[in-house]
Amino acid sequence: MQKIKTDESCVLLFKPDFVRATYKISVDVVGKHISGLLVMKQMPDSSTRIVFTNEMGFSFFDFGFLPHDRFMVYQIVPQMNKKALVKTLRKDFDLILFRSMDSSKYYALADSNLVYHAFPQSSGINFYITDTHCSQLIKMQRSSNKKPVMEAQLYDGSGGNTPDSISIRHLNFNFSISLKKIPALAPQ
Amino acid sequence: MIKTFVLACLLLSGLITRAQYPGYTSLPHYETFQKAFAQATTATESIQADFTQEKALSMLSENLNSTGKFWYRKKDKLRMEYMRPYAYIMILNAGKIFIKEGQKENTVSANSNKVFQQVNRILIDCVAGSMLDNRDFQPAVFESSASFLVELKPLAKNLRELYKNINIVIDKKDYTVHTIEMFELSGDKTVIRFQNKIINAQIPDSVFNIP
Repeated sequence: MQKIKTDESCVLLFKPDFVRATYKISVDVVGKHISGLLVMKQMPDSSTRIVFTNEMGFSFFDFGFLPHDRFMVYQIVPQMNKKALVKTLRKDFDLILFRSMDSSKYYALADSNLVYHAFPQSSGINFYITDTHCSQLIKMQRSSNKKPVMEAQLYDGSGGNTPDSISIRHLNFNFSISLKKIPALAPQ
Repeated sequence: MIKTFVLACLLLSGLITRAQYPGYTSLPHYETFQKAFAQATTATESIQADFTQEKALSMLSENLNSTGKFWYRKKDKLRMEYMRPYAYIMILNAGKIFIKEGQKENTVSANSNKVFQQVNRILIDCVAGSMLDNRDFQPAVFESSASFLVELKPLAKNLRELYKNINIVIDKKDYTVHTIEMFELSGDKTVIRFQNKIINAQIPDSVFNIP
């Protein structure tokens, strides 16, 4: 791969719209499986709230992704309130929400098929990987300074749309999240 | 004098801060209710019902609505089968929890997760009528013309971290549970309403089978 001269504007065209979306969420983590509903909603202050509850209404967490890359834990059950887990989830959602994209640090690498649009973070790098014409977002990737640690994909919906499904897969330990959009849950 | 004043203030604040519910009056001595409720629930061998569940996310101004079917059989068998927004089955039977979500099936011991065990005990207690005996909660009883409202304030530390209180609305006509309201500290709440209740229907063992 070699460095190429381009800018980040083409990546921003793939930014999905999470104005209001409800997903069925399945989480598999080191042999354990939990499921429920994940609500993503853009708030009037332009922050994005992400709430995870199980099917019976029991809330696992309520996170706020605020402007200027600030982050807030509004609520979390004690069992999940582990610094490493919260940090991992924050970074995962940052990648999907197209946050922490400092254009002053941006660079791009390319091989014959793909372009790796790189956004260095305080530790590691977020990559948005497109085809060479930047007409398709192939996948997203979080890397440490040495190797990829997580991959995510948006299906049927990016570039201003709400994705129908989202997959997040960690490469350094057994942790995956699968999201499938649920049509509007209107009262009966 | 100061001691008396402080005591009076504490008593008064206790009376004022105790939740009040429109249409309901407090039933400070609820032994009569407790006795009648115990009699009715003793005679209840099983309950079959439809349910609606509404999770209100207060800060997001969003409601998540679910519907399904509910089966309970004395003494500790429970099945909640969600039909909407997607199929999801939870069965409690003999200390085990079985969950089926799509093609995924999972059986765990209720004892392996204390909070899950307590939350499930709340559900069983609510429908079986034993919530007034649950030492994890401080109960208070209120009465309207059509129903009783049992307010349960969590005492156990891990439950206090999750719930502000849990309210159970009981039909006066048959002493069966009409609504369960779970109020979280965040201001969110989950309300489960039971409809089309059939008391003491024959429910086959297969409904509660854990594969």
